[in-house]
Amino acid sequence: MGLLAREIEAQGVTTVGLALVREVAVAARAPRFLYLHWPFGHALGEPGNVDQQRTVLHDMLSLAAAAPRPGLVIDLPYRWRRETYTPVRDWDQPSAAVLSALRLRAAG
Amino acid sequence: MRTHDHQPVERGRVPSRGEEGPARTRAGRVNELFSRWITGSARGEAFGRWLSRTIALPQLRRLAVGEIPWAPLRAPVRERTVALITTAGVHLRGDRPFHLNGDPTFRVIPRDVRPADLAISHQAYDRADALRDINLVFPIERLRELERERVIGRLAGDHYGFGLMGSAAAQMPAMKDVARRLAESHVDLALLVPA
Repeated sequence: MGLLAREIEAQGVTTVGLALVREVAVAARAPRFLYLHWPFGHALGEPGNVDQQRTVLHDMLSLAAAAPRPGLVIDLPYRWRRETYTPVRDWDQPSAAVLSALRLRAAG
Repeated sequence: MRTHDHQPVERGRVPSRGEEGPARTRAGRVNELFSRWITGSARGEAFGRWLSRTIALPQLRRLAVGEIPWAPLRAPVRERTVALITTAGVHLRGDRPFHLNGDPTFRVIPRDVRPADLAISHQAYDRADALRDINLVFPIERLRELERERVIGRLAGDHYGFGLMGSAAAQMPAMKDVARRLAESHVDLALLVPA
């Protein structure tokens, strides 16, 4: 999927991918990846959990807007089935998860 | 292995909100047990990750070379056109299912598709939850909501499904084709969701 992201971005289209295997996402050298340590077939979370799905989409849109350079694989902090998701408050603001991860990268 | 060009489809079980859900193309009993093990147990999941690394890493070392392409968004998301790409084996129920051992082709999925119009052909993950809620691997309903709420500017007319990747080199022409189609239809942002 990382190769696909590279091809799409090379055509001038911004890409954000979700990844469930971190090493594969890193090796793909794709423009922007968000990594979740979740089971296969569940990139957006659990069935029927709309707030969870919208949280992940908010993170994707946030990284699309805020990534400062290509090749980042951002770790999302959500533990599988051990989080409570609330509605996204402000879609115009980048998500806290993506912002704090980007700050950490910048500092490190 | 047999080919899966014209396999019959079964109904997905427990569709969300009382509607009819996506279809489950037949994958065979052994494949179903394997995919359930890979998705549903700690040891199976670890094996799945190992398998994914073993298949993907050598190919990526060969193919993911050179500068990383970079096309940053030129306007806020609420003014952009968004398309969805899934590699989880999603396609229209009436379309030819993906080959389960790896398929070098893609399928177009129109924006107003209902879950009941879809099917999943993939053997490397347990499809049970995605069949109950297609948004886990193809969040089209969520994106239609975001378009109505004006969070995103527009949802593209066409979205794209891929099956199991297998050989990345074999799949390269399809990837380039989809990339070209996205650019030609003025999509600004592509969201990619894995199996």
